[in-house]
Amino acid sequence: MSKESQLRALVNQKLIEMGERERLKELLRARLIECGWKDQLKAHCKDVIREKDSEHVTVEDLVAEITPKGRALVPDSVKKELLQRIRAFLAQHATL
Amino acid sequence: MESIAHEIYSDLVEDACLGLCFEVHRAVKQGYFFLDETDIESMKDFEIVDQPGVDIFGEVYNQWKNKECVCPNCSRSIAASRFAPHLEKCLGMGRNSSRIANRRIASSNNVNKSESDQEDNDDLNDNDWSYGSEKRAKKRKSDKYNYNSGIYYETLGPEELRSLLTTHCGVISEHTKRMCTRSLRCPQHTDEQRRTVRVFLLGPSALTLPEGDAVVENGSYETSDGPVLVSRLQWDGSSDISPSDSGSSKASTNNSETKKPKKKKSSLTVSSVTGGVGY
Repeated sequence: MSKESQLRALVNQKLIEMGERERLKELLRARLIECGWKDQLKAHCKDVIREKDSEHVTVEDLVAEITPKGRALVPDSVKKELLQRIRAFLAQHATL
Repeated sequence: MESIAHEIYSDLVEDACLGLCFEVHRAVKQGYFFLDETDIESMKDFEIVDQPGVDIFGEVYNQWKNKECVCPNCSRSIAASRFAPHLEKCLGMGRNSSRIANRRIASSNNVNKSESDQEDNDDLNDNDWSYGSEKRAKKRKSDKYNYNSGIYYETLGPEELRSLLTTHCGVISEHTKRMCTRSLRCPQHTDEQRRTVRVFLLGPSALTLPEGDAVVENGSYETSDGPVLVSRLQWDGSSDISPSDSGSSKASTNNSETKKPKKKKSSLTVSSVTGGVGY
């Protein structure tokens, strides 16, 4: 394993252990709902489902359709906030 | 480090998207995903109304305020919003009306002091048992007091009657035939009544009221010899005082002499020069 991947693994581990990952997840969800991202994406889902027949939609179909759009739709402010928090965490705890 | 941060960020966003997908997929499969969509026509039925004089549902909201109803009891036209309380008072039902009636009776009871009201009070008090029981206890007490100290004049001898009448009001109640045992100045009965009672019980010349100012009511009363004799003996002047005599002057002078007969002596004294007729 490269050093970077080692580092990455370590960081992830620490993130989970300290519960920071969960916290970040909740924060992201809250922010996305606030900014209306969730409703936007849901509307998109409706369109997708109506196009395909609604009986036979699978999770994979949805994921394939939704995820790229979802990633694109995240507003910048939310992205910045989250990155800031991650960096702060790394700064604090990345010194091994 | 920066790339790691971005990677972490991407992972988080992907997690969020996945979460949403699962939610939507489940909703579709369970059939509740499209529930919030209704057709435009039924949406129009529930649109918010914004006209003056009408609420947001389209109902007129003070339609009945100005209407007047005719009371079935007293046949007056009453405003709709005042109709219910008016009916309560008008029909004499409802908690408030019985309370007011009780209070009115209590205050008139203190004025009149007639015992016949006791039964009425009990009936009314049955409506509100908790409130009424206190009132009943109070009233019972006061009524009992009156009740026990009322006196039947028929059972008393003339001397007892006389002694009673010198200290008490003695007016005979219409309903109960009892003599009032309040003081001589009792506010429930007039002096006129007291005089009538004394004449009735003791004979026309047996008037020894301190406030007496008056004409003796002679005439139609049959008196036994006893009181007449006694009264003759009692008064100075000793002129014949016949029952039919309406000599007001004599009576008044006599009365003024005998102004303070408040002593309750059992023996009769003839001479009363010193004033005060002693019994």
